[in-house]
Amino acid sequence: MSPVLEVADLLASIGRVPVLRGVTLHVNPGETVALLGRNGVGKTSTLRTILGLLPRRGGRVRFNDKDLATLAAHQLSGEGIGYVPQGRGIFGNLTVEENLFLGLRHRPDPSIPDYIYARFPRLKERRQQSAGTLSGGEQQILALGRCLMRSPRLILLDEPTEGIMPKLVNEIRREIAAIAGRGVAVLLIEQNLRTALRLASRIYLMEKGVIVHEATPQQLSADPSTVHRYLGVSL
Amino acid sequence: MTAQRLKWLGVAAVAAGLGLAPVLLKFFGGLFWINVIAEILIWSLLAASVNLLLGYVGLLSFGQALYFGFGMYGVAIGISQFGLGLWPAFFLGIAAATAMAAVAGAIAVRLTWHYFAIITVVFSLIFYFVAMSAKSITGGDDGLSFSAPPLWKAAGWLLTDRTVQYYFIYLVCAACFTGMAFLIASPLGMRFNAVRDNEQRASLIGINVYYTRWIAFVISGLLAGVGGALFALFGRYASASYMFYHVSGEAVVWAIVGGIGSLLGPLVGTALLILFRELVSGLWENYLIAVGAFVILVVMFAPRGIVGIFSDLVEGRDRRKADARAALRNLAEAE
Repeated sequence: MSPVLEVADLLASIGRVPVLRGVTLHVNPGETVALLGRNGVGKTSTLRTILGLLPRRGGRVRFNDKDLATLAAHQLSGEGIGYVPQGRGIFGNLTVEENLFLGLRHRPDPSIPDYIYARFPRLKERRQQSAGTLSGGEQQILALGRCLMRSPRLILLDEPTEGIMPKLVNEIRREIAAIAGRGVAVLLIEQNLRTALRLASRIYLMEKGVIVHEATPQQLSADPSTVHRYLGVSL
Repeated sequence: MTAQRLKWLGVAAVAAGLGLAPVLLKFFGGLFWINVIAEILIWSLLAASVNLLLGYVGLLSFGQALYFGFGMYGVAIGISQFGLGLWPAFFLGIAAATAMAAVAGAIAVRLTWHYFAIITVVFSLIFYFVAMSAKSITGGDDGLSFSAPPLWKAAGWLLTDRTVQYYFIYLVCAACFTGMAFLIASPLGMRFNAVRDNEQRASLIGINVYYTRWIAFVISGLLAGVGGALFALFGRYASASYMFYHVSGEAVVWAIVGGIGSLLGPLVGTALLILFRELVSGLWENYLIAVGAFVILVVMFAPRGIVGIFSDLVEGRDRRKADARAALRNLAEAE
């Protein structure tokens, strides 16, 4: 089975400072992979470079065996890549429903909005309300829902549980698991070890712009010294 | 009553008031003002074209007079050189403006912010100088006078009848603003919004930012072109001086004073400043100082313009309610 996303020797810099120094990773179809690391090691830059938001200085990014460098940003969602940026990235001026349907080229499969509204009755209730009035957790769920509207094959999530009240964190974890359960591959950027351990089937640890370790959640749980070394936390 | 309903009530009141203006003015014996109102309506289309770009897509154009000029000269040249009837000339003007906007926009919308503003000025300056020097065609600074063919021959409708002319202008403007209302509420209008708020986010959910901006630019050129075409018919005159960037700048001021990002803001701003000019310029030749001071005050204290003050009032009430509900809900969730 060839991976849905294949990243090899990715290089990128911001100004003159190299932020990615040869990142190599892959995500298999339907798999949830977490990219863990401390603040500033290049996790978000990895996502941004994959998406072409940060210029790539070297390396390869292949999605479904297609080089992503040949695509413009607006073509990515049509290819099946969803992205939920840190801070959720919904449009606060537009209503919940407008956010969901925004930018769709074709009417989506009607089962998708039905599915989203059935799972999140609160979004359905507030369908005509401007999205800016939703709570942080609801906005995150809306952003996930908006990704689903495009029937993606891969979703890139940048710290989805960051800044969300603890009670909703579990709900969001459940939703990510549900998305993965629909056969969508997920590349999850996290600082929160527990979220990564719960959701991912493989975990990459990152430091100073390179991947330094790859493990399953079980292996990582059994290896407190590695966790401590790269994440600075104890299990 | 919800803010939305109040807003539509306001729009309907303005439309009805303007529709009845000739009758009312005749009754009060002030038919002279009908031409002032007609002129306000025409210029409000130029301000609306600024508003569409700045208020809905986030692009500040200082070159909208170019498309106004193309609309104006399309009509003037169509009638005086090609001998066209009123309607063919009218549509020629609009088509010329739209085509020009399609070409200029393809280049200009690659840029944003001040680069965009500068390139729009450059485009309009180029054609301003072309129009100034091509005197044999455009009449240059002296302009081009012509007499307008009848609006409807069989009925004997002539633009020289002030009331006929007013209703012609009123209906065309009403059509433009109605079209804009539909546009803003359409999926394309949502995309405009998204591109204005965050182009990167917009592109990552599949919106082609460049194409969306270009469409907005072309529609905005069309609006300015309709304004120019009406203006030519209104004065039976076209002059290159209306293509100067001062004219564009004035439209930006009208739009900002009235309220960027609201449907009728440009109309309100245009009305206010043109009426002010009509009333004060005769008394005080340096009245522009007062206009300048007024604009500074609006920008400082009412960044969403005159219309923004009113929508803040009505929306504020609704928003406070919604905020209170949201806060209660979040509290309940946290429990």
